[in-house]
Amino acid sequence: MTKLNWKIIAVALAMVGVAVYPLAHGDMYIMHIFILFFIWSTVASNWNLLMGVAGITSLGNIGFLAVGGYMSGILAKQFGWSPWGCMILGGVAAMVLVTLLVGLPALRLSGIYIALLSLIFADSLPTILTQTRTITGGAMGLHDIPPFFEGMTRMQAYYIVFVFFMAMHAMIWWIIHSSTGLAFVALRDSREFASALGVSEYREKIKVFAMVSFMTGLSGGFYVHYLGDISPTTLGIEPFLLTIAMMELGGIGTFMGPVLGAAIIVFGNEFLRLAGTLRLAILGGLICATILFFPGGFIQLIGWIDNRLSRGRKNER
Amino acid sequence: MRCIIKELINAFVSGTISGSLYALMALGLTIVYGVTHIFNFGHGIVAVSGGYFTWLFISRAGMGLIPATVVAVAVMFVIGLILYRTTLNPLLNTENWEFSVIIFLLGLGILWENLLLQTFGPRVKDIPKFLSGRFKLGFVRINYHEIALIVIVILSVVVLNFILKKTWFGQAMRAVAQDMDGARIVGINLKRTFGVAFALATAVTGFSGVLLATKYYMTPHIGWDWMVKGFVIVVFGGLGSATGAVYAAFILGLAEAVITLYLGSMWVWPIWFFMFLIILLIRPQGLMGGRTL
Repeated sequence: MTKLNWKIIAVALAMVGVAVYPLAHGDMYIMHIFILFFIWSTVASNWNLLMGVAGITSLGNIGFLAVGGYMSGILAKQFGWSPWGCMILGGVAAMVLVTLLVGLPALRLSGIYIALLSLIFADSLPTILTQTRTITGGAMGLHDIPPFFEGMTRMQAYYIVFVFFMAMHAMIWWIIHSSTGLAFVALRDSREFASALGVSEYREKIKVFAMVSFMTGLSGGFYVHYLGDISPTTLGIEPFLLTIAMMELGGIGTFMGPVLGAAIIVFGNEFLRLAGTLRLAILGGLICATILFFPGGFIQLIGWIDNRLSRGRKNER
Repeated sequence: MRCIIKELINAFVSGTISGSLYALMALGLTIVYGVTHIFNFGHGIVAVSGGYFTWLFISRAGMGLIPATVVAVAVMFVIGLILYRTTLNPLLNTENWEFSVIIFLLGLGILWENLLLQTFGPRVKDIPKFLSGRFKLGFVRINYHEIALIVIVILSVVVLNFILKKTWFGQAMRAVAQDMDGARIVGINLKRTFGVAFALATAVTGFSGVLLATKYYMTPHIGWDWMVKGFVIVVFGGLGSATGAVYAAFILGLAEAVITLYLGSMWVWPIWFFMFLIILLIRPQGLMGGRTL
C-alpha cells in the first residue's frame, strides 16, 4: 500500500470540496467555471496521454473535440435524438474519422509527421465548416443545441459533468497502468528490447490514439450540450494554446499534471481577461518560460517541496 | 476550347510565380530540419517578421525597398543566431528535446505574433513592388514585378547553393546533415554549425517573407497559412532535401493555381490536407527521399 502522504490527502480533500461545493455555496458563475474546468481538464489529460505518455506529438486534439461536438450537436438538433446517444455517436465519429485520416497514415512514420498531419487536419476543419453552412451553421456556429435533458439546472449539469470528469480520469489512470501504458514505458526505455519481446509499437500507438480520440470527441459532446452552442472559433488559436499551456504548466507526462494545469489555466484565464488583447502573448510567453526554466511544471515543484518536507522530517529524527 | 487553354496558361503563370515564392520559403524550413533536425513550428512568423521589418524600415526610417530588405535580412540573421544560442541550444541538450522544441517554438511564435499585432495593429500592411507596370504576351498578362520575383528567387537559390556547396560553413552544414557523428569526428563544431544553419534559415525565411508580402498582403496572422504550405512542401519534397523542396514547391504551386481556378480559393486548405495525406500514404519519404541538403 502506498504511504498516506500529504499529496493524497490534498487530492482527496480537493475532490470532496469540489463534490460538495454546489450544495455548500453554489454560486452560478463559479459553478460554470468549474464545469469548464472539468471539460478542459478531460481534454488536457487525454492530450497528455497522447503526448506525454505515448510520445505521439499530436497537435490536433482540439479538432477531435470539434468533430465530436459538432456531430453530437447536429444529430441532437436535426433529428431530435437523445443527447446521450448523440454524445456516444459523436465520440465514435471522432474516433473513426481521426484514426482513419490522421492516425493510420502518420503513426507508422516518425514523430514529426503526426504533428504536421494533425495540425493541418485541425486547421482545415474551419473551411469545411463554413462550406457546409446548411448543416453546421458556418461561421456563425451551431446554436440552441438541446441540453442533457429538458429543464436542466446548473447544479444538475455540474454533477453530470463531474461524474464524466471522474470517469474519464479513472479510464486514463487505467490505461496508463494497463499493458498498453506499460508497453510505452518499455518502448521509451529500450525500443529494440521492447520490440524483441513482442511489443508492436504501431499497434499500441493506434490503440491509444483511437481511445484518446474517442474520449476527446465525447468531451466535445459534453461541451456542446452544456454550453448549447459551438462555432469555428473553438478551433482557433486560443483554445489550442490554453490546452497546451495546461499540460506544460501542470507537468507533461504525469497523471495529475494536466488536471492541476487545467485548474490553474481555467481559473487564471478569468483574470487574464483583464489583459485584453495581450492575453495570447502572455500565454505564449508562459509556455516558453515553463519549457525553458521549469520543464517539469508544477508537479516538479510539488515533488521538490515533498522532498524538502521528508528531508526535514528525517533531520528531526 | 481556346478559353480553357487560356485559363490554364494563366493558371500556369500564376502557379509558377507562387511556386517560386513557396520554394524559397520552404528552403528555410528544410535547411533547419536537414542540419539540426529541429522542425520550426514558428516558421510562419519568421517569414512575417522579415516582411514587417522591411515595412518598418521603409515607412519609419524612410529607406528604399532594396536597402530596407537587406537590413531586414541581416537583422533576421542576427535574431536567428541569438535565438539559437540563448534558447534552442540548451533545449537540445534536454531529454525529449524533439517535443519540447516543437512546443517552445509554437509558443514563441504566438508570443511574437501577438506582440506584432499589439504594436502594429491588425490592419493589412503592404510593401511596394520592385518594378511597376506590366506587359502582355498574347493573352497572358504578366507584371514586371512578378518577373523580378522569379529572377530574385532563382538568384537566391543559386547563391544559397553556392553557400552550401562552396563555403566552409556550408560544407560543414552538409557534412552535419549527412552524418552527425562523422562530422564531429573530423572536427566540426556542431554547436556553431547548428547556430549558423538556424540563422541562415531564419534570414532566408525572412527574405521569402518580404517577397511574399510584395506579391500578396501581410497581417500578423498570415504566417500560419504560409507555414502550413511550407510544411506540405517540405514533406512532399522529402524532409531535409533542398532540391526536393524546390521541385515540390513548383508542383504544389501549380496545383494550387488550378484548384483556385476550378473550385475556388476556399477549397485550397482542405485540398492541401488531402494532398498531404496522399503523399504520406503513397510516398512518405517524399520526392527526393533519403537525400540530404
